[in-house]
Amino acid sequence: MSILENRRHRETIEAYAYLAPATLVLLVFWFAPVVLALLVSFFDATALAPPGELNFIGLAQYKRALFTDAEFVRSIWNTVNYSIYSVPVTLALSLLAAMLLNTQIRGRAFFRTIFFLPYVTTWVAIAIVWNYVYHREFGIANWLLTVVQQAMPWHSGEPVTFAWLAEPRGIWEMLLFEPLGISLPQLPGDSDQVLRGPSLALFSIVITTIWRDIGYFMIIFLAGLQNIDKSNYEAADIDGATPWQKFWSITFPLLSPVTFFLLVISCINAFKEFTPMFIMTPDGGPDYGTAPMVFHMYNSGFTGQWELSYASALAYILTFMILVLTLVQNRLIGRKVEYGT
Amino acid sequence: MNPVQIVALLFVLLNAGIFAGWMSQRIAAGRGAGSRRVGRLLGMTLVYEALLLGAFFMFLPFYWMVVTSFKDSETALTFPPVWTPSRNQYIHEDPKTGAELPVRLLGIQRSEGELVEAVPESAMEFRRIDVGEYSVTREEPAENAPRYQVNPAQLEQDVVMRIDGRNFVKAWYAPEVATRGGVNFGRYFWVSFLTGILSTAGTLLTSALAAFAFAKMSFPGKGLFFYIVLLTMMVPGQVLLIPNFLTLGTLGWLDTYLALIVPFLASVFTIFLMRQFFMTIPDDLWDAAQIDGTGRFRFLWQIVTPLSKPVFITAGIFLFLGNWNALLWPLIVTSSPEMRTLMVGLQTFNEEAGSEFELLMAASTMAVLPVVILFFVLQRFFIQGIARTGLK
Repeated sequence: MSILENRRHRETIEAYAYLAPATLVLLVFWFAPVVLALLVSFFDATALAPPGELNFIGLAQYKRALFTDAEFVRSIWNTVNYSIYSVPVTLALSLLAAMLLNTQIRGRAFFRTIFFLPYVTTWVAIAIVWNYVYHREFGIANWLLTVVQQAMPWHSGEPVTFAWLAEPRGIWEMLLFEPLGISLPQLPGDSDQVLRGPSLALFSIVITTIWRDIGYFMIIFLAGLQNIDKSNYEAADIDGATPWQKFWSITFPLLSPVTFFLLVISCINAFKEFTPMFIMTPDGGPDYGTAPMVFHMYNSGFTGQWELSYASALAYILTFMILVLTLVQNRLIGRKVEYGT
Repeated sequence: MNPVQIVALLFVLLNAGIFAGWMSQRIAAGRGAGSRRVGRLLGMTLVYEALLLGAFFMFLPFYWMVVTSFKDSETALTFPPVWTPSRNQYIHEDPKTGAELPVRLLGIQRSEGELVEAVPESAMEFRRIDVGEYSVTREEPAENAPRYQVNPAQLEQDVVMRIDGRNFVKAWYAPEVATRGGVNFGRYFWVSFLTGILSTAGTLLTSALAAFAFAKMSFPGKGLFFYIVLLTMMVPGQVLLIPNFLTLGTLGWLDTYLALIVPFLASVFTIFLMRQFFMTIPDDLWDAAQIDGTGRFRFLWQIVTPLSKPVFITAGIFLFLGNWNALLWPLIVTSSPEMRTLMVGLQTFNEEAGSEFELLMAASTMAVLPVVILFFVLQRFFIQGIARTGLK
């Protein structure tokens, strides 16, 4: 009995020794900071002020962020718009690509590599290249627009080109309401974006994100598709189901765990996005229309006045939003996901 | 010929090929080939066309990046764009020999008829030049190069296709000007490689130890693991930026290698990945090892680790890539040019270079190349690793 106990005791000590290095790093650089950040956000610390003059100011930083900092409110809009426009399109296109690649075609490996390549390359380089793609005068985005317009038989006059990353107007306003001659009422503040849509500048970055992430999602969808039992389709074939019916009653439900996983992950990532906006529009875009929340946090905490407490409060607002979003998704959609084949 | 025309041509060829294949099959099969076959064929054609169109949009920016990195600044700023690696070359007739040779203009013509100095293109070389207190590597004419006074407006111009590494060398040394001779891209690459490899190796080590404990040992508190994983997944890393910045400041580690390595020496996700893999290793192996008198550490090191090579490679790839691609953290904790990672260096260069797109594209190509090579060498692990994340 005592030998066994002794042995267990030794196993516990050994286990703790194995856990020690990782735990130490996580404690110092993960768990303590999570608490510390919350504490810091109740003070008025800046990196420039002398450490002696630290005042506890309660929730003042949060109040300031949500009620007086118009730029931060704009950045929340930008973040939400960025997620709403990038996530569903990426999911849909990558599912389409995965389904096309899941057929009996030649050159699958080739297409898979090409589609996946953007995800492998680094965000900074990608953003620099797309900056050039969107160049107002010499970019290939405008060139492509020009070529397509000139190929249209009804085309006349100068082809229309866009300012892309420098365009503050909303996409619906530009592409839908203006050509139809509908003038929109001016809604108060940022809610104006609901009708007009996100600025073309932000939407340009959305396009880049979609381009980059399609391959990654596609690989995961492909694995999910290959996991679906082929006999389901054979049975449907016998019943004479159309491809459309097969998709909605076999593929889509059986793929729903994968889709849900991707939805949650990509929403979280979209809310945390920083790099493409920082490289493509270092000043936050026209009318601060492309700056996401992390961008504004970086600007407040690590430039200008170096307001560390304020930036901590912003980070916590972001965390709160991500938590709520994930929980809501779990509640609303997670239940409908069908697990098991 | 531009890319749109190439894709259109590919479409025509594809359709013709499929049609020809169908015809020959039909002839071989006699009259039996029915309308069902035609529908299938049409579907296949559409699949290929959609994939081809997708591949076109996916690949175009890469092609554009690489092609531009071989252009000169004039060709990089033309519309409609030039789709080949071309340069705009001035041709000058040497007054003595009468030979026509490509020349490089050393200045800009400001008024009509003004003469500008030019040297033969072949006399340009990369040299270290003293600029006051420091020196930079620049493309300069050789010292004994013949110099001509030319009027650019009257010179013959020629668009030549040439692939050379000139822009890459130029971009490589470009940061020297802004940092007063301090650093070039070599330094950025070195910092990124060093911190990437050290932190990846360190994380693999700490994670393997922790994962082994969670997978194969019993101890009080083991059940907490699930909650730790959940917590770290929910809390965005951005919350940690400010406290970690303060911690590093207190430790005096800001702007050192330590700041880029130590905070990342543990990864909950990697522990999770490895734990899942270690659990599949049968306990019989441990029993056998115990009979041979092997301790746990030796068992982990000599038996579990070799068996878990795939998970080590997969986790290693993602850790290294995450480190290589990180921008926000190195941006915050480094301040001197010597400590910039490649991403921060590239971002700084992007701000400085303005519209020198041929150099920006060359620098981007260089930054992308190592990860693309890594991808092609380890493609299997990449794809498997990512595919597995969706199937839990």
